[in-house]
Amino acid sequence: MTGILIVAEVDAGELRPEFWELVTVARAMSATLSGGISIAVIGAKVDAAARQTAGIGEVHVIEDDRLADPWPEAHAAALIQLSGELAPQMVIAPRTILGAEMAARLAVRCRWQLVQDVTQIEATADGGLQGVRPVSGGAVAATIRAGAGPWVVVPRPRAFAPAEAGTGAESIAPLRHSFAPPALATACETPKRIAVEGISIDRAKTVIAGGGGLCGPEPFTLLREIADLVGGAVGASRVAVDSGWVQSALQVGLTGKTIAPDLYIAVGISGAIQHLIGCSSSQVIVAVNNDASAPIFGVANYGVVGDWKEVMPAFRDALAGRTA
Amino acid sequence: MRVVVCLKQVIDPLTPASTLALDRNEKKIRAGVTAPPVINGFDEQGLEAALRLRETNKDIEIICLAAGERFSNDVMKRSLAVGADQLILVQDPSLDTWDPYPIAAALAAAIRQIGGADLVICGRQGSDWDNALTPYILADLVELPLLTLAKSVTVADGKRVEIERVLADGSMRMNAQLPALVTVTSELGALRMPTVSARLAATRKQPRQFALAELGTAVVPGHAPEVVDLAIPVTGRSCTFIDAADGPSAGVRLAETLLQAGAIRLGGER
Repeated sequence: MTGILIVAEVDAGELRPEFWELVTVARAMSATLSGGISIAVIGAKVDAAARQTAGIGEVHVIEDDRLADPWPEAHAAALIQLSGELAPQMVIAPRTILGAEMAARLAVRCRWQLVQDVTQIEATADGGLQGVRPVSGGAVAATIRAGAGPWVVVPRPRAFAPAEAGTGAESIAPLRHSFAPPALATACETPKRIAVEGISIDRAKTVIAGGGGLCGPEPFTLLREIADLVGGAVGASRVAVDSGWVQSALQVGLTGKTIAPDLYIAVGISGAIQHLIGCSSSQVIVAVNNDASAPIFGVANYGVVGDWKEVMPAFRDALAGRTA
Repeated sequence: MRVVVCLKQVIDPLTPASTLALDRNEKKIRAGVTAPPVINGFDEQGLEAALRLRETNKDIEIICLAAGERFSNDVMKRSLAVGADQLILVQDPSLDTWDPYPIAAALAAAIRQIGGADLVICGRQGSDWDNALTPYILADLVELPLLTLAKSVTVADGKRVEIERVLADGSMRMNAQLPALVTVTSELGALRMPTVSARLAATRKQPRQFALAELGTAVVPGHAPEVVDLAIPVTGRSCTFIDAADGPSAGVRLAETLLQAGAIRLGGER
């Protein structure tokens, strides 16, 4: 029997970095769950990624051409199949667009308890789990308790420190399972992807993000200059992405990335609920907006009610003056 | 063709956290002041998707369906004002719950009661509990193919539904044979405003009420974790507003404040 099965998401041949946060959770939970840690690597052309995970536990691979694209039903079918074969007590999946959906489909199909978006998790004395997670867009923290397993656990991104990669086990061959899904009711085409430029917002310590209030793509040059001064990354709200001002990889929020930088500066972002979900865990939030009633001020530590066109160039120059 | 749009009545997500009242005994979040509830924004976008479908497929019947403890008719009837043909409310005290299983079971039973649907549309998640699980359970209970996170929804020749699914770095096209269930994401766009005449017409329409008992839902065993406590997170987030004579001086003062607080380290690590 398997104790914990970690879903290692592979995106375009690369192991997604969230995996190392899941390892931290798995190691903490393995103190109370017997059966050890196993890894599920699902996709097409996953050899390199599977090797990277080998130091963590027993690696199980389902490799199939039908798993080349992030097709949720197919990837979930593979995970449901592996979970049936390995009978884990706990499956841990990343809270990515694909990972969260695989977790939900597995939990619903097997009627396992889904413990999602948790920032803390621990085993309880009676054989259950207790965790803390944000609800209502981060306005409220809920303590949740799940009874006896199996469980599907989806940790909140950035809430757990990434584990160090294991060493020395890369030569151990993974266990291969052939993909035998039931009839699949949906179909997908190959995604249209847009390449990422600059520092990734989910790794930067400072993120300066622009929204609808910027009224166009040009002001993002100013944000970029400020980001460069402080060694940060430029982010954006959905409005800015949908308007085509910046690429979608910069999007902070429900569809985009959940980030937790040390400093988040929101410029011309009103703070719609789907945006706040993505940034409310930041250490310090600064909001610059000309509307004093904008909801972003409700989560901000520092606020400037004013026109960004006047505030931000002076802000940049003040920082530049300090570095000169 | 019949499209069922699932709606949830929720606390207005723009309610400031400071005015939320937590019922720590009942484990419920209440709007502390008399802020009116709203239709979950993601569900409103599902209704918008249905209305757009009807622009190109005239023979579409749109039925809005909600399950909950009690409803504000004025709030829910906004769906009729923008063009839904019918509004069905399933009311029961047991439906004021964090657990998505009873909600999905009530929605599934109501869909069966009205004779099924060709397309069911849900918002990606409720903005109250952020579980994003009801559509998955509903699709499982009514045995429909599930397509999620659509930013556009089209129906080809009345037989297949096609969506554009959002990804973190782009999008992908997906499709399924009807009947099917689709969830929509905020990228789809906001619900249109009702016209004055439609709003007036809607005041004369009444929602159909279904009691949970008459639907004869089987009890779905609880599989969701229970909420054992609620708290307003201590963020230290009372906003300090930067006071200055004009914009440029506010920018300078903001820079100084952040440097002093140690929030900005110039040339710092990435």
